[in-house]
Amino acid sequence: METVTLAAPGGDHSIWALFWQAGWVVKLVMLGLIAASIWTWAIIVDKIIAYKRMDVSLNRFEQVFWSGQSLEELYRTLADRKTTGMGAVFVSAMREWKKSFEKGAKSPIGLQTRIDKAMDLAITREMEGLEGRLGYLASIGSAAPFIGLFGTVVGIMTSFQAIAGSQSTNLAVVAPGIAEALLATALGLLAAIPAVIAYNKLSADAGKLAARMEGFSDEFSAILSRQIDEKVMPRAAAA
Amino acid sequence: MKAGLTTSVAMHVVLIGAGLISLSSPRPLESSNFESFPVEMVPLAEVSQSVQGERTAPVSETPAPEPTTEEAPVDNAQNIGDNQVDLPNSATVPGNRPVDTASAPPPAEEPPVPEPVQEPEPEPQPEPEPTPPPPAEEAEAEPEPAPVEEATPEPAEEPAIAEEQPRELVQLPTSAPRPQTRPQPQQQVAERPEPQREPERPTPEPQQAQQPSEESEFNADEIAALLNRDQAQGGGAERSSEQASLGGRQTTGAVLSQSEIDSLRSQVSRCWNPPVGAADAENMIVSIRLKLDPSGALDGNPEVVSGGGSTMAERAAADAARRAVMRCAPFNAPADKYEAWADVQFNFDPSQMF
Repeated sequence: METVTLAAPGGDHSIWALFWQAGWVVKLVMLGLIAASIWTWAIIVDKIIAYKRMDVSLNRFEQVFWSGQSLEELYRTLADRKTTGMGAVFVSAMREWKKSFEKGAKSPIGLQTRIDKAMDLAITREMEGLEGRLGYLASIGSAAPFIGLFGTVVGIMTSFQAIAGSQSTNLAVVAPGIAEALLATALGLLAAIPAVIAYNKLSADAGKLAARMEGFSDEFSAILSRQIDEKVMPRAAAA
Repeated sequence: MKAGLTTSVAMHVVLIGAGLISLSSPRPLESSNFESFPVEMVPLAEVSQSVQGERTAPVSETPAPEPTTEEAPVDNAQNIGDNQVDLPNSATVPGNRPVDTASAPPPAEEPPVPEPVQEPEPEPQPEPEPTPPPPAEEAEAEPEPAPVEEATPEPAEEPAIAEEQPRELVQLPTSAPRPQTRPQPQQQVAERPEPQREPERPTPEPQQAQQPSEESEFNADEIAALLNRDQAQGGGAERSSEQASLGGRQTTGAVLSQSEIDSLRSQVSRCWNPPVGAADAENMIVSIRLKLDPSGALDGNPEVVSGGGSTMAERAAADAARRAVMRCAPFNAPADKYEAWADVQFNFDPSQMF
């Protein structure tokens, strides 16, 4: 009597088991991809909050700015506060104006140029903060699939080597290694897809915010230019 | 940044946790474990009749049965014979047992048919009483003792015929379709012993020698009866024209399939209480040979072929095996393959139990 026992190959095929039976390279890749995913979402959450906050602050400043309040008064209230967005641009421009005008600037063209530069600098600094970590999202979005693919290739390589060693082409022997290897690609895509989508959306949002600030700075530059003409030229003419 | 990081970590922990629970161990595909194999239609007759021939014919390259005399072919016939209806060749069961006559009605019923007619005669009266209970023994005992007695007195008179006769008589039970041949030797047997035995042995005659004489009186009816029954029983309707050569008379499908063997085995093993606790289980292998009748019941006592040696344990093993067989006695086996399991041997090996 011949007894044929069919060994049940590997009862547990949960994702956890797949992770633990993977080789160390694949494990490293998977851990890296999970970390990348965590970082991606951290950036996404952070940026969404920051952009929302910036949007609100821009709205509020525009409201205050166009309410007819005197610029001097507005500057006095904002100067000793920590400002963001348009407020920072306004404060930097007013600071430059005050420095130059109160010390008696001779050339209105030089004053205008300095104010514009100061505002550009303020916008750039603001946008630096806003667009700060979007580069990570871009890198993760483009690199994560490749990293996952690398893990898959390594995993399939080792599993095929193991199959060659076991000299069996049974699907039950082949399947776990390939499933475990494919898990790396799955994790890569899991990290990359939100990163790419979020990068596109966040950079577009940042562009919009930057455009709004540019628009304000142009408008404010025009207002200041008029003021320069009104206040500096008579003084120059008088002198 | 802190808020984003903590949110992200919390989200990942929740997602991975949910994934571990919901994606854990996907349910294996329910695929019944079957093997596919190509199905072919093989005409069974070619295989089963490839060794069909005559038992007494000389050996030739391909076995062939006796040529048939009927010429009109019958469609789809598979068994060789002169019949108009295709019937399987009669079973040639090994051994002389009453079973044979039960399965093959004509020889069993032969004696009772003519005998009641003879009741008016005074002499045969003691005979019909003993004959019906063991009809088969007598039916087969009939032809056998006759040639023995014949052989001794006859060689002087007709040596050539005397030699041929026993052969034909021995053939009779083995060759199935015997419409023409069967009655003839009986007539001869009936005719010849009469003149010889009467003077020699007056006393034993009433039992043995007179039966043939009675049969000879009712020859016409008996031949008719034999013809009818034998045609219905033996032989198919396929025609053969080749010269007879050595081969099996009946070759169709009398081999038990593996599942039928397993069925028999499981039936016996269910009744078997293997001897426990004895040393040297290898010595306790018991082979038991059984003869079964067509209903599956035991025919005679099971015979211990091997095993059941000297020691107590071995004898106990043999008894256990015999008990198992007798307890299971009516075995379930395919009736149409009776020839295959009429005589079976079971090997009881207790060493496989431990």
